[in-house]
Amino acid sequence: MIKPLEIRGLCFRYEAGTPRIIDGIDLDIPGGEVFSIMGLSGCGKTTLCYCMCGIIPHVYGGYMSGDVLVFGERAAEMRLPVISTKVGIVFQDPDTQLFSPTVEDEVAFGPENLCLSRSDIGTRIDECLEIVGLRRYRLSHPERLSGGEKQLVAIASVMALRPEILIMDESLSQIDSEGRERIKETILKLRSMGKTIIMVEHDIDNLDIADRVFLMENGRLRQVDKDRAGDAVGLYRGT
Amino acid sequence: MLLAFIEAHDVCFAYDKKTAVITGLDMKMAAGSFTAIMGPNGSGKTTIGKLMMGIIRPDSGKILIEGDDTRQLDLGQTGSKIGYLFQNPEFQIFSHNLYDELTFIPRLKGAEEKSAALQADRLLRLLQLEDKKDVPTFSLSYGEKQRLAIAGILMGRPRYLILDEPTTGLDMVRKNILISILMKLLDEGTGITVITHDHRFVSHFSGQLLQIKEGRIIETGIK
Repeated sequence: MIKPLEIRGLCFRYEAGTPRIIDGIDLDIPGGEVFSIMGLSGCGKTTLCYCMCGIIPHVYGGYMSGDVLVFGERAAEMRLPVISTKVGIVFQDPDTQLFSPTVEDEVAFGPENLCLSRSDIGTRIDECLEIVGLRRYRLSHPERLSGGEKQLVAIASVMALRPEILIMDESLSQIDSEGRERIKETILKLRSMGKTIIMVEHDIDNLDIADRVFLMENGRLRQVDKDRAGDAVGLYRGT
Repeated sequence: MLLAFIEAHDVCFAYDKKTAVITGLDMKMAAGSFTAIMGPNGSGKTTIGKLMMGIIRPDSGKILIEGDDTRQLDLGQTGSKIGYLFQNPEFQIFSHNLYDELTFIPRLKGAEEKSAALQADRLLRLLQLEDKKDVPTFSLSYGEKQRLAIAGILMGRPRYLILDEPTTGLDMVRKNILISILMKLLDEGTGITVITHDHRFVSHFSGQLLQIKEGRIIETGIK
């Protein structure tokens, strides 16, 4: 059976002569799973996300070997617009993601480019702004919103594409506890619909919804017990 | 009674002169004390931080830094007393490499190059960035940029720190390092205000907790 995401012997370095930031990763991620990646900052988590969604090698160059298969197709050989209909990524920094003059335009951008009907686009805008609790800001300029609200707009705009695979790269970091819980509920709903969700997380409190937790270190992934994820990175759970 | 380092008196502020973002803000931050500002997204936390720093000025009421009204102070004057960490490190970092970034302000102030270099080396070690010393800043990860921005504001040895979401992008190891650094600074008499959603992070400190909602302080706690 074809899996949403398969990674085979993936290695990557940004420049020749530098250490590999990804050093031989093999991974299968099935549908209907919340898959979480932890690890120290700078260990390559974001780079791995870029490989999963085709930004590497299509946008960022480097030295790559091995394969990322999206529903059985090699991501390196797929066109980026095609990958983006299947894989959505919410970036770590919402300022790199938002560009439209209103929140509504921002959320509509993806569905418009999928050539959906006006009523379908409207439905998706309503639905996604409801999920992130930003309906009242529908006509606001994203630049006028707070950092956390921008993160919510970025999440809504990716969710509006209804991707089969949703990658969230530390996307909950600036969101208040109420917003986080609402988004986690939505992630669980997406999981029950058979979607794949990949969460890069530093906050162990957000790992409660993860089915599997992997620790990234030295360019590789190692599965860890999610209840002991804090210990896995050499720390106590705090108070 | 501890002397207030920063105080706000009946401050109101709106970005577009129509919708008030901050209303009737009264607060005091004592020198050398810890304050956490918490609240929902869009409640005005970052705006309060910018008002405290003098980046924006109140529409009415006043903010005083050691008794001086921020309307009478330029950013150079507030910057010599207060270190401000922006929510997004991308807005803070502008040099090509880490070393230039950290020594920019000391060089601007005419500090001796050797002592600035020693201080930069110490902070890079402390924040576990010493192996990135020669890499371009744009190639750092988000978490590494955040640590560099923190190091940058510590270079000036400010007497007060305003940190807007300082734990964003930090893994748990680096978060604990930051906690130790801030605790040591508090022991040495540096005042700190943290704007955050991270309850676990705040729980390590003793001080005042201001809960913000819709531009007002709705609860003040001491822990």
